[in-house]
Amino acid sequence: MADIPLSLAEKTFILHGVDANFRNDGRIRNEYRAMELETKLMPQTNGSARIRLGNTDVLVGVKVEVDTPFPDNPFEGKLEFFVDCSANATPAFEGKGGDSLATEISNTLALAYQSPHAINLKTLSILPHQQCWKIYVDILILQCGGNLFDAVSIAVKAALYSTEIPKVTAATLDGGKPDIQLSDDPYDCIKLDAKNFPVLVTLCKIGDNCVVDPSSEEETCSSASIVLSTLPDGRFTSVVKMGHGSLQPTTLIKTLEIGKLVGIKLNASVMESLKKEDALGTNRPIFGFLR
Amino acid sequence: MPVDQRRINGPEVTIPYNIYFDSNAKQTETRKTLPKKRTDGRDSTELRKIFVKTGIVSQAKGSAYIEMGKTKVVCSVFDPREIPNKTGYSLQGELFCEFKFSPFSCLKRKIHQQDSEEKEYSIILQRALESAVCRHEFPNFQVDVYALVLDNGGSSLAAAIMASSLALSDASVPMFGLVTAVTAGIYQDRFYLDLTEEEEVICSKAPDESTSSRNYGIVIQANLPQHGQISEFFHVGSMDLANMKPTVEAITTACKELCPVMQQCLVKSVLKALKRKENMEKEDQ
Repeated sequence: MADIPLSLAEKTFILHGVDANFRNDGRIRNEYRAMELETKLMPQTNGSARIRLGNTDVLVGVKVEVDTPFPDNPFEGKLEFFVDCSANATPAFEGKGGDSLATEISNTLALAYQSPHAINLKTLSILPHQQCWKIYVDILILQCGGNLFDAVSIAVKAALYSTEIPKVTAATLDGGKPDIQLSDDPYDCIKLDAKNFPVLVTLCKIGDNCVVDPSSEEETCSSASIVLSTLPDGRFTSVVKMGHGSLQPTTLIKTLEIGKLVGIKLNASVMESLKKEDALGTNRPIFGFLR
Repeated sequence: MPVDQRRINGPEVTIPYNIYFDSNAKQTETRKTLPKKRTDGRDSTELRKIFVKTGIVSQAKGSAYIEMGKTKVVCSVFDPREIPNKTGYSLQGELFCEFKFSPFSCLKRKIHQQDSEEKEYSIILQRALESAVCRHEFPNFQVDVYALVLDNGGSSLAAAIMASSLALSDASVPMFGLVTAVTAGIYQDRFYLDLTEEEEVICSKAPDESTSSRNYGIVIQANLPQHGQISEFFHVGSMDLANMKPTVEAITTACKELCPVMQQCLVKSVLKALKRKENMEKEDQ
């Protein structure tokens, strides 16, 4: 991630702030920054979302295409994540600079969505063994101001929530070749069941405490962080350690406990705001990037 | 996926014949759920017998070989070299880890290039070792660690982590301590340590909706047993917190138990080196 050079005194200041449960932007340890979330802002996609969390800005577009299913999972569709770290975010991302971070994020997302408890890929099947929907989730990182993982996962959840997949009215086998017919009505769509989609919660270990939603300055102060993907019911679909430090078993358990509580709350509030946005109807104004 | 043009690749799409086995056949029926007693007769927290040896690859600075049941992993570590394509000075040295399944090690043939799973494992391997290596001792340099799985009989990443830590110490890379790792599988509230390949497959599939407990998953944890620290923790599947605690505790104790085996192996290799030196001195006289 974009490293911010901090002096020892600045680091100690942040560390003491975390110890006192009063961070340098006024938050307590398990408090998120205010976020802006907007969906359906790009007409060319099947679903899209943009999130702004502090100075982190992420844009997600979802496209669906017809593909053949994997031979070992003939009844399931496909879901793939692609992350692009734009050089706009930091000059360090220029060329191949952002590749390692991009693969790290897309791998973590793929792990979070790998469980059937999170997403039921069977709903994406059109004709078993022959045709299925493939969902491409393209994530563009426009600005990073810390806590990329959480921001990306919330944006992905929102984008998938808003995704509309065209309805297939008939799918038959015609001479060994699958023949699918799409509905004539462009508004005739199915939506994904977003009820169980996970969000990632990053817990940054600073000193002896864990901090939720770290800013870039706080990220530089921490040697290890845990990225959990939590389902709305508090289950974990993946736990990944980041950073080069090590932790004690008791700290790990404590971190997981905090992460579970935070994850449940975050999931609920994201879902609530998405529903609120939905209730505004199709005529709501789109803000996009104009703030 | 970029294709290696200089190598003769197989056809682009091939399907392993195993998936055409009748899934309703009796044999697979019994394998879908894990019995209380494991197929190899081990207790749920019992590890497989382990064999470790250092100094396997003569060309490498340090190397180690590990065998856990059917799993066989070779690991080699090379001399520190300047970090390629690096501008600026990095205070801490870097570890470059490469984890690779040999083409014939798994049920499905692996291609010569690293696939996404192997890349993921390389990163896990790196993170597991990073906190154990005194990286400030070789600033601006990188140490290369290559782990090659000869035979995958389950828990190959855990085996690779242990072999790499042995190889690093065999290469006299300054370290804070040894790294031990154990894979655990969770299936319906029960957990099993040191999975075989079959168990890995079962634990990474969700149990039926009808069953009472929906927990499943795989946990890979690397420890620094001499310091009581966890250097890497990785979980995939779906699991609630209540099941996480006993699993972490069981792995931590198992990791502690593994440590003497590795220490013994290192002592042996040191004694052997001393003996060789003695013999050489005798010959000189």
